[in-house]
Amino acid sequence: MPRVTFIEPQGRTVAIDITVGCSLMQAATSHGVAGIAADCGGACACATCHGYVEGDVATALDAPDASEAAMLEAVAAEFRPNSRLSCQVKASAGIDGLVFRIAERQD
Amino acid sequence: MNAPVSDIELYSTPALLEPFENYRALRDLGAAVWLSAYDMFVLTRFADVRAALANPAVFSSAGGVTMNQEMNDKLRGGLLCSDSPQHDVLRKIIERPVTMKALAELRQRVSDEAEVVVERLVAQREFDVATELAQHLPVTIVSELVGLPEEGRERMLQWAPANFDCFGPINERTTAAFPIVGEMVNYAFTQCVPGKLKPGGWAQMIWDAADRGEIDASICPFLMNDYMGPSLDTTIFATTSAIWLFARHPEQWRQVCANPALIPAAINEVVRIESPIQTFSRYVAQDHVIDGVTLPAGSRAIVAFGSANRDERKWGDPEVFRIDREASAEHLGFGFGEHQCVGANLARLEIRALLSALAKRVERFELVEMKRGVNNVLRGIEHCVVRVH
Repeated sequence: MPRVTFIEPQGRTVAIDITVGCSLMQAATSHGVAGIAADCGGACACATCHGYVEGDVATALDAPDASEAAMLEAVAAEFRPNSRLSCQVKASAGIDGLVFRIAERQD
Repeated sequence: MNAPVSDIELYSTPALLEPFENYRALRDLGAAVWLSAYDMFVLTRFADVRAALANPAVFSSAGGVTMNQEMNDKLRGGLLCSDSPQHDVLRKIIERPVTMKALAELRQRVSDEAEVVVERLVAQREFDVATELAQHLPVTIVSELVGLPEEGRERMLQWAPANFDCFGPINERTTAAFPIVGEMVNYAFTQCVPGKLKPGGWAQMIWDAADRGEIDASICPFLMNDYMGPSLDTTIFATTSAIWLFARHPEQWRQVCANPALIPAAINEVVRIESPIQTFSRYVAQDHVIDGVTLPAGSRAIVAFGSANRDERKWGDPEVFRIDREASAEHLGFGFGEHQCVGANLARLEIRALLSALAKRVERFELVEMKRGVNNVLRGIEHCVVRVH
């Protein structure tokens, strides 16, 4: 299972082995990782599961699709080129080693 | 016509109470089936419902989304029964008070209200979820924030289900509901007007948009329905269904209590499995082929969200209530595409606030008594007495 490291807003790091097909948001919320609100439960409708993908593996991710790109315009924290909505990034073997830095605020 | 035909009566009382066997039969019969009882097509599979909702050029809403012409004529001009470009103009106005940004300002207040009502009911120990818990936030929000005048407000809980009964094909339910909807329309035209509306409220904001020339003032009364109609029973039924499901699946509630961050996902699973809005329709604006079946321009196609959300082709175990379901966010219970429920985030906010407050106080719900309601398009429970432990 690919391992993803989450960095919470306060700095704590949590490494999670994620089942392939599960989203970063789902892994984070089920493991008690702080800082992700995910108000819409993963429907790409609220922009409150925002963070930044880091590490070499980040460059290999597919770009956000049109709905995610539209929602990313509504994030509360700073939008950066490596901004992603964690509910839209699904685990695959290729993301092993990914770092996800959770945004400092979600509203 | 080359569609498979079925004489299943989806809108009979027994069918509305227990739709799922019918849905399954229709899914297995074909992607698009002609319902001889109603002279319209029905799409019941997840992939086809989703594709239709994503294709407004073919599956038009301006041509009406209800299953009878009279109601389609009444609703023309509002957001629900509109196509682009008018749709985009109306949606931008209607959604202003319910965007995430706007809702962020409401969050604390909704949470505080939820704490108060839950604290009171938990102390009472036994209560009817449907009437004592689930109605509170939607009714409070709709009256106060929309800014409806006090006079006539108490009728809102009769108007909302009548509104949806009028979406069905003409039957005894539709016929009985039209006069009640008439009252709501009259209220919208005579009472929901500047001077009687609360200044700064959502309804007043629609009139302000007309003053600024963004829309024609003549459609403002129709837009009142876009706030009053869909924001009550839908959220109320989702809330009641949630508690009913948790009462019957205590191990799912234990997961929620152990990790309240799972509540948004749980709400999605509730809306998937008990979709408060089971069916709408679309007007077929151009000849269209689905799986070899031609839907001719001018025909009507029912989009069965309640069936799509239980399609075994999409969901491995659709009959199972599982809050950890990976794809739960993909349900079509809020619709999909440009007409996706504009109030979805408000509904989520309200339901989440109640479930959070309950998760702090309740280990287990014991189901005492339950009675399902019957409505042409709504699926919900009218009485759900629980005892909390």
